[in-house]
Amino acid sequence: MIKIEGLVFRYDGSPRDALNDISLDIEEGDFVGIIGPSGAGKSTLTYALNGVVPHHYSGNFRGRVEICGMDTAKAGPEAISKYVGSVFQDIEGQILSSVVEDEILFGLENFGIPRGEIEPRVEYALKTAGISELRHRNISSLSGGQKQKVALASIIALRPKIMALDEPTGELDPQSSRRVFETLKELNERHGLTIVVVEQKIMMLCEFAHRLVVMDEGRIAAEGPAREVLRRGGMLEEIGVNIPRIATLARKLRGLGLYDGITPLNLAEAEKMMRNGRQC
Amino acid sequence: MKGFLDYVDGNSVLHRLNPMTKLIISFGLCASCFLTQNHAVVAAIALFDLCLGALAGISRRSALIFISLLKLSAALFLLQVFFVRQGNILLVLPFGLRVTDAGVSFSALFALRLAAVTMPLSLMLSITRMSDIANVLVRYLGIPYKYAFVLTTAMRFIPLFTEEMAGIMEAQTARGVRFDTGNFFRKVRLLLPLCVPLLISSVRRIEVSAISAELRGFNLRGRSSGYKRYSFGANDAAALFICVMIIVASAMI
Ligand SMILES: Nc1ncnc2c1ncn2[C@@H]1O[C@H](COP(=O)(O)OP(=O)(O)O)[C@@H](O)[C@H]1O
Ligand SMILES: [Mg+2]
Repeated sequence: MIKIEGLVFRYDGSPRDALNDISLDIEEGDFVGIIGPSGAGKSTLTYALNGVVPHHYSGNFRGRVEICGMDTAKAGPEAISKYVGSVFQDIEGQILSSVVEDEILFGLENFGIPRGEIEPRVEYALKTAGISELRHRNISSLSGGQKQKVALASIIALRPKIMALDEPTGELDPQSSRRVFETLKELNERHGLTIVVVEQKIMMLCEFAHRLVVMDEGRIAAEGPAREVLRRGGMLEEIGVNIPRIATLARKLRGLGLYDGITPLNLAEAEKMMRNGRQC
Repeated sequence: MKGFLDYVDGNSVLHRLNPMTKLIISFGLCASCFLTQNHAVVAAIALFDLCLGALAGISRRSALIFISLLKLSAALFLLQVFFVRQGNILLVLPFGLRVTDAGVSFSALFALRLAAVTMPLSLMLSITRMSDIANVLVRYLGIPYKYAFVLTTAMRFIPLFTEEMAGIMEAQTARGVRFDTGNFFRKVRLLLPLCVPLLISSVRRIEVSAISAELRGFNLRGRSSGYKRYSFGANDAAALFICVMIIVASAMI
């Protein structure tokens, strides 16, 4: 579905590579979380998926990014948009209309979706994002979480195969963040979308993502299922990724030879770890 | 005045008019204010604006807008009234200032006009979605969609910028900067450095908007891309007729 090979990118005028030799394969139906310190190149990696790099930002682009068999450097941004839907960190900047319904119509109108198909798509997008009752509301009167869902709905309506999201919960409280991730999970499980999401809230990623990619200074520092990545807690802390305390605890207990089970990702598993640990 | 440019959803007769009709009426009412030299006619048009607001179900909002416009008008009246030299002197003040009957009449007309001209435009924006305005500008007037889009996005950005400015000011206040000074020049001096961060964050935001539009097919859009159809019915004809009558009447009185 997504195939990245030896990708190097340096923005024009920047002294160093934002992406430095990235290779990554993402299968259809995968749910990938990207994490890493500020400036690691996470946003730039999402730009490489939706064609913003190299089409919108010029720079030194090497390597190859293939989306559904299409070379992004050769295809136009609109052609890539048919497969990849993008949600940006700046919700306010991304939203272009004043009323929820208009924001969803925007892409549908532009891509020339047949008239008869538009209404069902608007309804589907609103329903999937869980904001059917907000359809005629003024966007400026909505909460941050609701705005984020409007942004999601405007992309869902275009029925992409892949969704690339850059810190979609960056400005949200924990509860709204969860709801956004639950929407993503539903898109992933029920509608088969491939999800690539940059996220700082590591517990959220561990719970929802099938796979984590840790980035640092333009490179992939670690990659794999959440539990495996968390096992390398020392390295994560070194590059400045906050890891959950229970994972740190598990690592310390393991170091002391008191525990050798899975890395717990939630309270229930943590309790199990503590009970089993006592038996040792 | 927060949100005074926002669309207020509703289903009144006025809401349901063709957006083009609403545009024509609001500009027609503006024109009327300038066609007449009669204070009473301008006041009547302002009153008519308030009635329209009530008809659209936004009487409270239109009254609030009207009151703040009146305050502005009063300030303008005072700024002007002392400087008109023609006419019979009513009052002589120190520093060579004077108030004449022509001055009062001229300034009052000017102040009234300001209120009466702004009302229909702000009412129109309250009951018409920006996207509908953009769509009819493209369809009926043949304006390229890109320009119509710039117009609608600019309207969206104004409240965002004021919000951002307020945020920056709050942060500065927390660091001990006092903006509540009465001295205008001092205030400008305090605010000027804040324009730089505001500009930077605005440019960044506009960049995101441009990318977001591009990725959602903005460049593919043609004149016939709009989904909504706008009908032109008996209500529109009646409204336009009333509008023409008002224009003619104010030109004659
Ligand atoms: N538009 C740009 N022009 C020049 N350099 C940029 C631009 N955007 C990002 N960079 C640089 O690229 C690097 C990676 O940035 P980014 O992908 O935004 O990281 P992250 O999202 O992980 O914080 C940073 O060093 C940043 O300064
Ligand atoms: Mg980023």
